[in-house]
Amino acid sequence: MEEIAMTGRDAFFATLREALGRAPGDGPPDDTALLPDASVLDERAAAILEDCRTRSAELLAALEQSAERAGCVVRRVESLAEAGEYAAAIAVEHGANSVVRTAHTVLDEIGLPGALERRDIELFGPDAADADGAGPGRAGRQALREKTLDATVGVTGVDYAVAETGSAVIVARPGIARLASLLPPVHVAVVKSGQVLPGLDELFALRRRDMLRSPGRDYVNVISGPSRSADIEYTLVTGVHGPGEVHMVLVQ
Amino acid sequence: MKPATRDFKRAASAAVGNAQVRANLDGLYQGFHHARERAAAETPDWESMRDRAREIKAHTLANLDHYLEMAERNIRAAGGNVFFASDAEAGARYVLDLARDRGVRVAIKSKSMLSEEMGLNERLTRQGVEPVETDLGEYIVQLADETPFHIIAPAIHKSREEVDTLFQEKLGTPRHEKIEEMTAEARHQLRGKFVEADMGITGANFVVAETGTVVLVTNEGNGRMCTSMPRIHVAIMGMERVVPSIEDMGTFLRLLIRSATGQRISSYVTTVTGPRADDAEDGPDEFHLVVVDNGRSRLLADPELREALYCIRCGACLNACPVYRTVGGHAYGWVYPGPIGAIVSPVLTDLRDARDLPYASTLCGNCREVCPVRIDIPRMLLHLRKELTVGETRSAPLSERLAMKLWRFAVGNPLTMRAANVLGRISLAPLRRGGRVPSLPGPLSGWTRYRDFPTVAARPFRARWKKSR
Repeated sequence: MEEIAMTGRDAFFATLREALGRAPGDGPPDDTALLPDASVLDERAAAILEDCRTRSAELLAALEQSAERAGCVVRRVESLAEAGEYAAAIAVEHGANSVVRTAHTVLDEIGLPGALERRDIELFGPDAADADGAGPGRAGRQALREKTLDATVGVTGVDYAVAETGSAVIVARPGIARLASLLPPVHVAVVKSGQVLPGLDELFALRRRDMLRSPGRDYVNVISGPSRSADIEYTLVTGVHGPGEVHMVLVQ
Repeated sequence: MKPATRDFKRAASAAVGNAQVRANLDGLYQGFHHARERAAAETPDWESMRDRAREIKAHTLANLDHYLEMAERNIRAAGGNVFFASDAEAGARYVLDLARDRGVRVAIKSKSMLSEEMGLNERLTRQGVEPVETDLGEYIVQLADETPFHIIAPAIHKSREEVDTLFQEKLGTPRHEKIEEMTAEARHQLRGKFVEADMGITGANFVVAETGTVVLVTNEGNGRMCTSMPRIHVAIMGMERVVPSIEDMGTFLRLLIRSATGQRISSYVTTVTGPRADDAEDGPDEFHLVVVDNGRSRLLADPELREALYCIRCGACLNACPVYRTVGGHAYGWVYPGPIGAIVSPVLTDLRDARDLPYASTLCGNCREVCPVRIDIPRMLLHLRKELTVGETRSAPLSERLAMKLWRFAVGNPLTMRAANVLGRISLAPLRRGGRVPSLPGPLSGWTRYRDFPTVAARPFRARWKKSR
């Protein structure tokens, strides 16, 4: 297949370069002519994060509104413990037998394991894919997926939240599975004050910095409210393939 | 997909006669068009954002070879493969060969118009692979063995009763009355397919060159499913979809989503760079990107038509178009309907066969007004009309030339204009029904076959103008 790929590639670029009127030997310009200035990214990122800290109360309030508008159930809590109790209460309300979590440390800070244990609800996380401590092999990954398919609630932290759009941003990585916030019918996202960015431009500036710092594989979801469709007669229906219910817990 | 663009007039007539389709088309205006207006109004700097997006598109296309090579380099560095296909056939063959080589039995798909161009479902089926559309609208369209009716609302021409009947027939499901129940049925059916599938095929709303990242915009979560569940992810993109930097996403996501549905953002924006990280718990083992030209280089090479490639496929021009809202998406006869389709389809297929499409416009300019990247669609439609007449020696029929001469004479000076006004009022009087003339007699009857003729106003504009001054 590789061989076919190369000849096809040459033909493709020959046509393309002709369409662009390139002369033979026209090479690409310097990357700086093609891309926005990356040298200011670190400074810009620092300024954004500083701004988020100083305006955290204001941004949290804005997020509360925009997340509700996006269709989330928003709950503001005063303490970490209250967040854990709230997430556990959601699981009870939905008659959950099991809850899947990500490795976000905020879930330990809010006492999620204890809150669920007291209610006799099973909590599992990325460890379920790593039975022998050697990392998630094929069998382990399969086991975690099976368990996640049966879970009623997925509880996650976030990497950022976005006030402009009411979004929870989750960067998938070892420990932060893609499916935890996707397969269960209910998703609870825990957001800490200070994690809220003003808008999409700030989010993608930070993402660019991170992606250029450690290039390569990367997978991110910007989640804004429940899974929804209006494909039949414009009628809004939630819970098509993803969660039909998304709770955003805002911790002061 | 085999073009049926020659059938425009016949297919349009059929659609005009279908009351259900007409009613559903009206909803596009009431729903999407007005939602877009509200979303644009509440977005700060909307107008300058449109200018910026246009500049980025112009710059990216002028350097398209460099950006595609940059994207390729970065995707390979992330452990993915990139295939460049000169036409739909070559792109489809790559996907089919891959499916055969990897023993794929079920391929789940997230909405892609390019997949229609490639006729991917038909080809996969012929090879013994089961393709399953997972966008609810696309799923319905696939079950009905039809093509998408609208870029972002593929099954919007169908009533809930039709969907229910289709589900009963094809899936053997019980009768449902509520749309919620039908959606739950689709969720249940498709969940099984997601678990079973070996390959996920998605489109790409954007591909970021600098990081080799595919950006997917969905509301249902099908894009997330297709990129998380199967062991192979194949993304297919038209070659113009590339943008320089992930920092451009703020601008483009706002413009795309707010123009499409009026949402501030869709439920999910997913950014995918390469396959699963080695020690991650889920995600595909393999990632492939197929970049397809399929005639796009012809648009690129033509300075008059290049800006058709600025299109980000939001569908706003469809909702804004009085012709699309009358004839619907199927009449256009190929993958891309509406005003932008009337440019893209003829160039990507065959201009002579599609000669009716550039004329399927009143040139009212609504499409240009709503286009988030300010594509001058009317200008290009006129350009294609001009192209179509090049080499034609035959002039307009005598009757048409005479009618035009008469018109020029009548409106040429105030006296004859006034006389024509009076004459028009008198001669149309017996044909009036309410404020309109529903049918004209004799050789003029063709004009009123699908539309009313307006009456002459009781008080001419000149008189009203004089008074208001």
